[in-house]
Amino acid sequence: MDARTRILARVRRALRERPKALLPEHPHLLPKEDPLALFLDRLRENGAEGHLLDEEGARALLQGFPGAAFGRGVPEAFRLLPELPPEEAPLGVSWALFAVAETGSVALSGEDGRKAQLLPPTHLVLVEAKRVYGTLLEALQDLNGLPSALGLHSGPSKSADIGQVMVKGVHGPGRLIVAVLL
Amino acid sequence: MRAKAKLYPKEAARLLREKPGVREAVTGATLHFERNRLKAYAEVPIEEWRERAKAVKDHVLTHLDHYLELAERRLRENGVQVHWAETPEDAHRVLREVVHRRGVKRAVKAKSMLTEELGVNPLLESLGVEVYETDLGEYLIQLLGEPPSHIVGPAIHLSLGEIQKLFHARFGTPLDASPEALAQVARRVLREAFLSAELGLSGANFLVAETGTLALMENEGNIRLSTSLPKVHVAFVGIEKLLPRFADLALFLPLTARAATGQRLATFVSLIQGPAREGEEGPEEVHVVLVDHGRTALLHDLEAWETLRCLRCGACLNACPVYRQTGGHPYGYVYSGPIGAVLDPGLLTLEEAYPLPYASTLCGACYEACPVKIPIPRLLLTWRHRAAEEGLTPSWEHGAMRAFRKVMESPALYRLFSKGLRGLPLPQDLLPLLKAWTEGRGPLRPSPKPFHELWKEVADGR
Amino acid sequence: MRVALFITCLADQFYAEAGVAAVRLLRALGVEVDFPEGQTCCGQPAFNAGHWDEARPLAKRTLEVFEEAEYVVLPSGSCASMVKNHYPELLPGNREALAMAEKTYELSQFLVRVLGVEKLGEGLKGRKVAYHHGCHALRELGVREEPLLLLQNAGAEVLPWEAWEECCGFGGLFSVKLPEVSLAMADRKLATLPEAEVLTSTDAGCLLHLSGRMGKKGLGLRVAPLATLLWEAYAG
Ligand code: SF4
Repeated sequence: MDARTRILARVRRALRERPKALLPEHPHLLPKEDPLALFLDRLRENGAEGHLLDEEGARALLQGFPGAAFGRGVPEAFRLLPELPPEEAPLGVSWALFAVAETGSVALSGEDGRKAQLLPPTHLVLVEAKRVYGTLLEALQDLNGLPSALGLHSGPSKSADIGQVMVKGVHGPGRLIVAVLL
Repeated sequence: MRAKAKLYPKEAARLLREKPGVREAVTGATLHFERNRLKAYAEVPIEEWRERAKAVKDHVLTHLDHYLELAERRLRENGVQVHWAETPEDAHRVLREVVHRRGVKRAVKAKSMLTEELGVNPLLESLGVEVYETDLGEYLIQLLGEPPSHIVGPAIHLSLGEIQKLFHARFGTPLDASPEALAQVARRVLREAFLSAELGLSGANFLVAETGTLALMENEGNIRLSTSLPKVHVAFVGIEKLLPRFADLALFLPLTARAATGQRLATFVSLIQGPAREGEEGPEEVHVVLVDHGRTALLHDLEAWETLRCLRCGACLNACPVYRQTGGHPYGYVYSGPIGAVLDPGLLTLEEAYPLPYASTLCGACYEACPVKIPIPRLLLTWRHRAAEEGLTPSWEHGAMRAFRKVMESPALYRLFSKGLRGLPLPQDLLPLLKAWTEGRGPLRPSPKPFHELWKEVADGR
Repeated sequence: MRVALFITCLADQFYAEAGVAAVRLLRALGVEVDFPEGQTCCGQPAFNAGHWDEARPLAKRTLEVFEEAEYVVLPSGSCASMVKNHYPELLPGNREALAMAEKTYELSQFLVRVLGVEKLGEGLKGRKVAYHHGCHALRELGVREEPLLLLQNAGAEVLPWEAWEECCGFGGLFSVKLPEVSLAMADRKLATLPEAEVLTSTDAGCLLHLSGRMGKKGLGLRVAPLATLLWEAYAG
């Protein structure tokens, strides 16, 4: 007998005649009134920067950087900086699958390219306003066809492991900028 | 990890005596966590969340065979290689194979309590693999050769000064380097490791059966990096970590974050469905090792199985006034604090861990904090009862309890005892207790007359 | 109304005045008070330490002693919780245990919830009080507001105390099995103590432990059981 068989047999033996607990349904949440405003608030509270912009505004935001590593999903219109390898780029630009207002999160697909999401010190995420969900539950229930990896980013990389002092930019990007595209 | 839980009383006393700084650092950090948790709980209908989370976990645990098989199927469909491990040796075998086949020289590791249980680091080191703990706190204690002292903040027992000294000796940074400067040094060393490691190791906060999703939570980005950059990712998952539905994450991710650090969500959440697909960046191989290591035995235990709901959020540690005095080291095993006190006897044996259930005043703060409502005080009592039944407690204790019962069973003896407190000799068995009491608190000062003697006077209206 | 006073062993021995105060107060409020003579200890020390075989006979005899009582009132939160919450666990299927659990109250709980008394008098006017929430009163019995209400309505100023809901480190046998940890907990509690005239709590054990530690550290604050202060609230 292998480990799998033995483990499953022991689980079954343990559960024999055990009363079964019911699985509760997901709650029915009221939709958030103004998810965009909430999203921007929460981003700020999380230590990230959020902007509500049109295409021009987003392009202007990018102009401040000398070069960037781009995610695969970033539309041509925003690839206006010299492209650099993510290991060296001062900026990573990603195209989010969706965003969640209540937690101030952007969802990033592995398909878009993970290095641009993680290696540069600053991460700029573009997300369409219509892809901003009020709640995490709505967002997860709506998702079909999961990517190989989905990252939810809700702020800059941080740690308080050194003497309880909050430090930004440990490992991941120390700055998160989110441009919500109108 | 070798358990030294038996030594808890001695180790706790020694730590308080020899390293008073630990108490200060741990109290400060846990109170900070605790205040944040309270604020975060107050913001949501927390009782409803806790009830729901408990119900979902109880459902999974009472259907565990079904969900394990479902998860395995989904993982395989996602291209993940699934392994089962009853023992640390089983888990080691998986690692050995990967290391040899892929010629692994370097591994980056995301903080995982389960890998502590399994002794993953010593095994890899014995295979000649350089292992980098990449969580900043975990990296610090790896440099010091210490085990973690807290589930969420493994280095909360260290003061800034100690870390400055460590980095000074190790990397030549100035003794007054700022936390930012120290973090930048660690970032540089570990960035190099991320980029060159062939193997990434992690645990998992959850494994969703419906979709075969591994969910991991963190604030630094090291988990995303460890599971994204190396060509192979191996995740160790306790069999109790399952969730039924993908959308259950909408409850469990925020609940765990609120309980652990008071955040609405961890800064980074990784939801992993398998290896990189055609043309994508990411690991070529993903392995999931489903680990038992004592969990099925706990599941079998009708009085203790509820501990398996644990999310490893650390909220009970932060709430625990006993834990706060010493941090996790004296507990002598991977899990410390209230959850350690009820989990370790189950994962090890009661004989190895019997002092831990006594590391509590039964104050109940842990239960109020626990996001899945594990009745820790009740479980502590259960383990104590078993320890007493099995004769594991010190013999003086049993003697004292028997003497106590005999005295209290008879009002006449009780009255004699009452006189004894006021001058007559007391039963020998109770003397060690008296001594332990008076050393830190001065002599006992009974009321001039006990109430049962005063009653007559009061009854007469005097 | 008739109440049986369960003084509990620690209060009997170390805070006898709490019993006197409780009797006077209850009588003053028109309640007849009995003191069943056979009473000793509820068995909590043995139960909490896991020695249930030693605790059981004590629980059983306590049930007998108080069988006739209409209400049982204790000037102790943790012993009240032992009776209310743990007797039914210790003696599964025992109907007397359930019956006693029903009719047992901690003193302030009894005053507010059963008698409906919220104001005892003005006897504590201007007194600065530090209140320690005994863990079992607070978390097992849910006695949080009652003592505060009674103290404040009598004119006392209950001072803010960061650590007032934290365990003091007594814990019965805990205090002698792990004396260093127990003392460190007391020290944390005392280090945050506000500038009060009197420290009070529902629980004799906590007070005994804290006052002992205070004595050792040369802190000279008055320590009084809640019952005593409540009587002062009434009698001035
Ligand atoms: S027992 Fe509860 S509070 Fe403690 S770590 Fe587990 S889930 Fe968190």
